[in-house]
Amino acid sequence: MASSQNSRKHGLNIEIDLESSCAYVSLKSLLIKEGYSSFVAADIAACLLNYRRVMDAYYEAYFRSIPVNESIWNMDLEGLPLVLGEISKGTAADSSSIARLFGRLQRNERRQGGPVSRRTLSCHKLIRYQRHAISRLSKAIRPA
Amino acid sequence: MKDPVKSIATLLPSPRLLPNESEADFQSSLQGLLSEFETPSPLNVALVIQLNECLWWIKRHTVDKELLLHDSMAGILTRSAEFPQSYDNRRVSMALEGFLSGNAGEEDEQWIEELLKRAELTVSDLRARGFKGAYKHIKMADDLIHRQYQTMRHLQKSIDSVDFKSRLIKRMDLELAVLENNALAIDAKSS
Repeated sequence: MASSQNSRKHGLNIEIDLESSCAYVSLKSLLIKEGYSSFVAADIAACLLNYRRVMDAYYEAYFRSIPVNESIWNMDLEGLPLVLGEISKGTAADSSSIARLFGRLQRNERRQGGPVSRRTLSCHKLIRYQRHAISRLSKAIRPA
Repeated sequence: MKDPVKSIATLLPSPRLLPNESEADFQSSLQGLLSEFETPSPLNVALVIQLNECLWWIKRHTVDKELLLHDSMAGILTRSAEFPQSYDNRRVSMALEGFLSGNAGEEDEQWIEELLKRAELTVSDLRARGFKGAYKHIKMADDLIHRQYQTMRHLQKSIDSVDFKSRLIKRMDLELAVLENNALAIDAKSS
């Protein structure tokens, strides 16, 4: 499924053992000092760290979205069969089938849009992770 | 007592900024939000940092929304001008950016006007067509902005709840202190 591919790509489907991390232990003890019970403090600390994990993945999705392949995007397809014919010395059919292949590549590249469209799409795929993470954090804090 | 901003910053990974963004601006906007609290607890500081990050995401996505529209408008002008298929529309995009913000040089202004004339479009026609062309991605940017607003609402409610809890604890501490004092006074009287 596309959604599970996304989560794998950003490492969000991997269960992380938060309880053994230093940040978790320190956050939990800080919250206990603030007057939260051990159970609630543990829940809030885990949810806060999970929320940060999602937001870091969101940043990565925005900042490192698939780059535009300039050479394919700007390729001159009209003159391509002629150039290919001269280079390969093959038949006209060979040249036009290679040109069709490049045409398909260019269409796919352009269909994805420019850098802004790509990063918008990339972040959009992570919306549900943010929704889930903030909802868990909110639930951990509010009954406390 | 340790500064709660520093103590939470060492425990929780801070939001990351883009290379062109200023850490000082982020911190100043964070301090502005924190100044609303008398003595923010570390948890409230952590939540306010997340809220500040949401505000920054809203700004980024809003800028992107405008960029998506401009890119689509530049694409329409490029196609209408019968440039070769390989023509990179960034040149048109930059000139259009200047034209729309009123900062275009004379040459760029004339060029965009010429392209508009050739496409038989006014600026508002172009904007409407550009919006139609980029609708899918503009809608996505809107969803992202909306998501940040929703997240901010969750965070605000959580901050309220933490604030209420700490005020409640303070009040209970005071009441306990009064009760203890009363008990001590009774003990002293009885002895």
